[in-house]
Amino acid sequence: MKVVPSRSSEWVRPVTSQKPASAIIEIDRVSQVFQTSARKDHLALSDISLTIEEGAFVSILGPSGCGKSTLLYIVGGFVSPTSGVAKIKGQAITGPGPDRGPVFQEFALFPWKTVLGNVMYGPRQQGVRAAEADAQSRALIEMVGLKGYENFYPKELSGGMKQRVALARTLAYHPEVLLMDEPFGALDAHTRTRLQNDLLNIWERDRKTVLFVTHSVDEAVFLSDKVVMMSKSPGRIRQVIDIDLPRPRRRNELLLDPRYQKYVVDIERMFDESDEAGAPS
Amino acid sequence: MMLPAAVLKRAAPVLACIGLLAIWQAAALVLKNDSFPTAIEAIRAIPDILGDKESLVNILASLRRMAMGFGVAVLFSIPLGLLMGRSRAVAAFFNPLLMVIYPVPKAALMPIIMLWLGVGDITKTLVIFLGVSLPVIYHSFEGAKAVEEKMLWSGAAMGLSPLQRLVRIVLPAALPEILTGCRTGLVLALITMITSEMIARQSGAGNILFNALDMGQYDTVFAMIIVVGAMGICLDAIFERIRARLVRWSEPQFDMPLSFS
Repeated sequence: MKVVPSRSSEWVRPVTSQKPASAIIEIDRVSQVFQTSARKDHLALSDISLTIEEGAFVSILGPSGCGKSTLLYIVGGFVSPTSGVAKIKGQAITGPGPDRGPVFQEFALFPWKTVLGNVMYGPRQQGVRAAEADAQSRALIEMVGLKGYENFYPKELSGGMKQRVALARTLAYHPEVLLMDEPFGALDAHTRTRLQNDLLNIWERDRKTVLFVTHSVDEAVFLSDKVVMMSKSPGRIRQVIDIDLPRPRRRNELLLDPRYQKYVVDIERMFDESDEAGAPS
Repeated sequence: MMLPAAVLKRAAPVLACIGLLAIWQAAALVLKNDSFPTAIEAIRAIPDILGDKESLVNILASLRRMAMGFGVAVLFSIPLGLLMGRSRAVAAFFNPLLMVIYPVPKAALMPIIMLWLGVGDITKTLVIFLGVSLPVIYHSFEGAKAVEEKMLWSGAAMGLSPLQRLVRIVLPAALPEILTGCRTGLVLALITMITSEMIARQSGAGNILFNALDMGQYDTVFAMIIVVGAMGICLDAIFERIRARLVRWSEPQFDMPLSFS
């Protein structure tokens, strides 16, 4: 199966390694093989190289099964690559750490803890004093729009609220990189839009590095500085596209912006082409 | 103000008990058998048992063994079950072992244990321990296995070590399932306690029961059955209270509506 070479457009740059001094994450020829059965191996990721600059909002966009979440888990240290190496600030990643904070589609909140208990968990683990952690966590809960819900248990919250708690819980221990694994994938369209807006507002305040996995083209273009397009079987990087749209971004302005529309249409077209070329007969 | 339906719900267990005793009373009066005393005769014999110092000492000794066997079993079984649920190697080692032990009635092991350890406290406590362990191990195992991977990853990212994750994430996450196992274990502890005392007759509630049977004091036999049954109901109710408090966070938010209004 061949990957179709990309068409060049004026704003499309090939992935070839340009290493700016401010690189925070470097992924160097990473491959991941999963053994699906005794005799069959599945190449989930093939020879991925990618550099992420500090403070950038980077989306990894691709169809389901292209290994985009696996790539995120490798950066998180939750999964070790079969070959190649991922680095954070020049150090090879060997396991999870508080410098990389995950936010999962499944929320993964601690159901026996209240909203406040969940958000305080990380700071307390890091040795922050209870009173201080309490105050910081309450401020974060307010920031994600859940003031008044501090003593609720996760089962009492809606999906969107749970994801807000998960975001606050991760922000609470000040990771340098946010790893977001299709965080809004389980939410309805309306809630999804609101969380995208809120995430952008929060992000535009402190500009943390974000690695954001999604299969939604609109979401990727709306949020990101850079969109990494992946193709499937084996998972490869097709193209890295810089999204050159002004910030702060406002949804109602952006949706009418022809540049935004062009990004979305062009990316969708590229996926369609690769589907046709790569479709098994 | 309580609705009639709510009153009925509260009173239901009491009504069920009264109904059962009424049927017993009627059956005994109809059958007129020496070995089947009426409910009233049996209930009258209860104060005699509870008023007798020796009986009371015996019952307390039974409860002590039961608490001991149950406590040690829980302390041993929860960590083992959790480890089995999170480590393939540990599960692969213990699973076949437990599969063999599981269907064996623990009381059937009594003769051998008695042969080795005598008929004293150790033997009886050990049998209770064996009876309680398996459901607690099994439920802890299932509970630990079901813990969401991403929850553990979230903990790992916060800097929790593998042991901290086991104690501070797997244990609380599996707690509802573990406590279900403990509740089954508690009832089994009572059953194995009585059984062990019937086999190794020396002291205890089971011994009182069989001694009365030997002497033809049938009202005492039935009174003792009521006492043991009441003990079981009380222990279970107390445990259920504690359980409900500990896992409030996992219970469904609303109870079933009590009326159609």
